[in-house]
Amino acid sequence: MNLQHPIYLYLWVAPHVLLIAVAIVMYRRGLHREFPIFFSSLLYEFAQFCVYYPIYRRVLIVPAWLYLKLDTVGRAGSTAFHFGILQELFEWPVRHNGSLRQTSAYILKWVTAGLIVMTFAFIGFQYYRQSHRLPQSYGTLEALNITQCFVLALVFLWHRFLGLRMSVHVFGVALGLGLMAGLEPLIQAWKDSELATNLRIPDYLQMGVYHCTVLIWLAFAFARETVPRAGAPAQSEGLPLLEVRERAADLGRIARL
Amino acid sequence: MTAMIIVAALMAIVLVLFLGFEAWARYSRPGRDLQLASAELIPVDLEAFENLVDPEEERYLRMNLSAREFRGVQRGRIRAAKMYVAALSQNAAVLVSVGQSARSNANPEVGAVGQEIVHRAIRLRIWCLFSLLRMDAAFLFPGQLSPSNAIASQYMLVTYMAAKLPSRAAA
Repeated sequence: MNLQHPIYLYLWVAPHVLLIAVAIVMYRRGLHREFPIFFSSLLYEFAQFCVYYPIYRRVLIVPAWLYLKLDTVGRAGSTAFHFGILQELFEWPVRHNGSLRQTSAYILKWVTAGLIVMTFAFIGFQYYRQSHRLPQSYGTLEALNITQCFVLALVFLWHRFLGLRMSVHVFGVALGLGLMAGLEPLIQAWKDSELATNLRIPDYLQMGVYHCTVLIWLAFAFARETVPRAGAPAQSEGLPLLEVRERAADLGRIARL
Repeated sequence: MTAMIIVAALMAIVLVLFLGFEAWARYSRPGRDLQLASAELIPVDLEAFENLVDPEEERYLRMNLSAREFRGVQRGRIRAAKMYVAALSQNAAVLVSVGQSARSNANPEVGAVGQEIVHRAIRLRIWCLFSLLRMDAAFLFPGQLSPSNAIASQYMLVTYMAAKLPSRAAA
């Protein structure tokens, strides 16, 4: 019995159904208000699936040019959402403070612009030059996907720089997105190459990675935030409040020297 | 296209390893970063720092030294000021962790002050970053650019808030 088809269907359908589960858990826990862009992206990806699946099953028949356009627009939308999610994660530590939020948005905007220029200069160019099997718009999107990897690493480094522990939900979203964004350029390059002609392995791998990503999001949507307890023993997270006076007094004394 | 695959594979490996390290750091040693930060307070002589970035002092030096001498002295001053800003930046990280601890206090007043400390300490840390960049530029062009001196007052304000915090908690 050939298992390829059911596995293919499972790897395609299951993550998209799980996206709805993630959305429901987020909605029930009020996380959709804290991560509106991520929440919208879940719905967007599911909506895309609702368009592509009937086309695949030939319930909905569209000409090839329209399918190509739909696919390009769909990918562009996903990329835009990913950048939006990254901005949401980057601004998370300062989301309650308008001016700090503006400052961090300003930093992210300029760093992202610099990264996009660098990615296009070094990697995007390669896509344009060598990618014969795909339209140029796909090359642009792949170069942007590579930029996402750098921006994602920046989100982790930003939290580290600020000295803040990532919220469990921010960490979960970033981890899932990182797994997908990190492996996507590799899988896509493999798919575009001559090595993958008539091979379905890259497709399975891509769908498997996406499945893992959605499972990570689901697990972290269920996770509860562990808040550092003030006045707790030293082994717990954060500083015990009783030690704060001593430390702050030290800072003040040093500052007045 | 093989070169593209190699580049993408290297990137994927680096990012996946990076994510793995972040996950390991988060779950194998929770709170360690914060405790380390609290243990590494760096003494800062604010008066000396303010003197190094004082525009009046800079004007005096500019008027009394030749252009070449001024550039040399100013570069030395900027180098010293950068060390102070790096220390302020590290202490700001300690203040962030102090604010985080206070933010989760059961007393809403203390929680609100903790939140304020976190925001001000984050602002201070970002200012330190910008200030270091500006100092790097001033180091390259000491005749044209001056280092900023606005950080010291912000630092004093945040440390004052943190020092006041426990008495509020005890009340």
